[in-house]
Amino acid sequence: MKKILITEDSATMRSLLVSTIESMDGFEIVEAGSGFEALRLLPREKVDLIITDINMPDINGLELISYVRNNPNYQTIPLFIISTEGSEKDMEKGLALGANEYLVKPFNPARLQELIRRYFR
Amino acid sequence: MTDSNEQMGKAVKDFLAEAEEIIDQLSRDLLGLSDCAESGDCNPDLVNSVFRGAHSLKGLAGMFGFSEIAELSHNLENLLDSLRLGKVSLDQGTMGVLFDSMDLLGSLVRGAGSEFSDASAVAQVVARINACSTAGRKVDAASPLDKLGIPEKVLSTLTEYEEHRLLENTKKGRKIYSVRASFNLATFDQDLGELVEVLKRSGEVISTLPSSGGGLGLSIDFEILYGSEKSTDEITTMVEGENITVTRLDVAAQEAAVSEPAELPSSTSDEASLTAKSFSQTVRVDIAKLDELMNIVGELVLCHSTISELALRMKRDGFSTLALELSKAAKSLDRKLNELQKGVMEIRMIPVGQLFEKMSRIVRKISKEQGKKVELKTFGADTELDKLIIEDISDPLMHIIRNSIDHGIETPEERARQGKDEKGTIRLSSFQKGNHVVIDVEDDGRGVELEKVKRKALEKGLISDATFLSEREALDLLFMPGFSTSDKVSDISGRGVGMDVVKNNIAAVSGMVDIESRPGEGCRVTITLPITLAIIKALIITSVGRTYAIPITSVQETIMVERKDVLTVERKEVIQLRNATLPLLRLGSFFEIAGTSDSLDTYYVVVVGVAEKRLGIVVDDLLGQQDIVIKSIGETFKGFKGISGAADLGDQRTILVLDVGGIISEATRGNG
Repeated sequence: MKKILITEDSATMRSLLVSTIESMDGFEIVEAGSGFEALRLLPREKVDLIITDINMPDINGLELISYVRNNPNYQTIPLFIISTEGSEKDMEKGLALGANEYLVKPFNPARLQELIRRYFR
Repeated sequence: MTDSNEQMGKAVKDFLAEAEEIIDQLSRDLLGLSDCAESGDCNPDLVNSVFRGAHSLKGLAGMFGFSEIAELSHNLENLLDSLRLGKVSLDQGTMGVLFDSMDLLGSLVRGAGSEFSDASAVAQVVARINACSTAGRKVDAASPLDKLGIPEKVLSTLTEYEEHRLLENTKKGRKIYSVRASFNLATFDQDLGELVEVLKRSGEVISTLPSSGGGLGLSIDFEILYGSEKSTDEITTMVEGENITVTRLDVAAQEAAVSEPAELPSSTSDEASLTAKSFSQTVRVDIAKLDELMNIVGELVLCHSTISELALRMKRDGFSTLALELSKAAKSLDRKLNELQKGVMEIRMIPVGQLFEKMSRIVRKISKEQGKKVELKTFGADTELDKLIIEDISDPLMHIIRNSIDHGIETPEERARQGKDEKGTIRLSSFQKGNHVVIDVEDDGRGVELEKVKRKALEKGLISDATFLSEREALDLLFMPGFSTSDKVSDISGRGVGMDVVKNNIAAVSGMVDIESRPGEGCRVTITLPITLAIIKALIITSVGRTYAIPITSVQETIMVERKDVLTVERKEVIQLRNATLPLLRLGSFFEIAGTSDSLDTYYVVVVGVAEKRLGIVVDDLLGQQDIVIKSIGETFKGFKGISGAADLGDQRTILVLDVGGIISEATRGNG
């Protein structure tokens, strides 16, 4: 089972992501409702993929990406950004900081599933 | 695939619930913004909060295909983004557009479950939003960030919004600092929160960048980008901690600065009184789950009663030592159950303030429609009530306020003629009174026009003769079914909604409603509600061979009465209790059960009262007090006056629970 960390402050959006991923076989999910929660969960859960939003209250997604990419333990974990249209500059920064893929909300569930499968072939 | 359909259905419900929350928060934030729009000195966090609200709503609505909501929030978000990035200024015109957009969003979300759609309204508001965005565009004399001398590493993790905040800080002449701190991984959110609170008091926290701490990975480092007018030394003293370093970042300014004037360090005594709650600590709970919890607690309470009884029997049968230990255990269980019960009940309690906010929107709307000037003043918004009760009295309260504006408050001209302030006032207050919560709606209008009321009642055949009606009885006419004093064909008050419906709705949650009026001066409607409906203490009584429960909250006292003290006045039995007359009620005749208990010379009377009305219920025997859970007796019996439900007594007996409010109303109207 591969473990996916979802960092997203909207509960509804989170549950949508969860149901999209759960309908695929072989993945389990860890949820974080904020950047801080993600920081707490990372040392405890051996995560294989991180999906994060950019606009979040305590630390934003870019800061989370920076943290992950600068830590030897998490450096190589694939990272997807899911954020809303209009934050292109932020998306670019995210990719520059080391994120692997980005998806725009409202996201196409099939596309998310395809991207996930691609990273775990 | 029914599974995914179910999931979708649940997800839509979640979306609507979250959307409502977002809109509530947005409304509050907008009110805050309008306050500071004048001075031009808005807290950037507030603008950002409004932006994030619209942003979230857009994303969510898009996912679920609510295209109108998505479109409106998308455009609103653009305007708000321009606002928070300083590209558009916040003036009255902009505030107006923001408020109207909010109102429309609110209606769309509330109507989202149904087929409600208002494409033209949406198009109109969107046009206004876009006009606002282009009109207010400020000429941005942008000073590029790289000239500031801030390291690229820091800049690379700033979102567009944070970059804007950084620029704003430099424009305001603030110095830019990097505050680096190291925290324990177990407690970093609290520790960081405290540090941020301290910093916020003297400047703006622009961003917080985490990085892994050195060593065994048990720590986490944060680099805080901070803008402040204070000096490096002052800030260092302010944060007062080991592992915290403060460094000035904007190099150019640093070189220009000569020697900082010696300033006294700011006092840091308030670090002790910090409550660092910079993020939400709440959980959203389905009210059905709380109902379930309450039921379980109720059953536990019954188990406890059984155990207590067993202890007593054991004692009687001679097992006194064991009985004693069992009793002690039962007492301890009782204490814990009480705490649990209290805890669960408290979860269901929410402040009435939410309801009051809804009412203030309604007052604005209706007074505009009617061409009247009305101000709503609220008091006691912190008073708490069970969530279900609040939901159930929302409509009745709205009707009462509507009536107040329609019939009570006069037009500005008429008020001026009477020497009153052109602006009428409705005073909405709430307070706790013992085991009840009272909600008062008081206006300074023309009061109830008693003659008009009597005429209407005669016309509608509700009464045959109005000559001997007291003021109280005339006011009670308002509560009769089918009564409505509106003489306009287009009934603005809403078709067929009279005070009788209001009263029934309030009675449905075991509450009572009363009207007081002073002609020419105003009218006051008082709603008395139980704090919560779930588990209550009740007095168990028997009457005419049947057992009933009377909620303790309605019981004022129990007395013994001798037959000779009972007087008959106008075919009703009364007694003198201290200095007042107390009407008596025999349950047998009230419920029309044969076999009255008239053979005794002395009997118990339970004096009950709700609000200001009292009644003495004649009973055969008092069996004691017990905790009971009132359960509904179903739709068939809902209209049955005098019974509010049924309860399980624990020994497999089910008894009926008296609805004291209902009994009093019926009895004092002369129908008992």
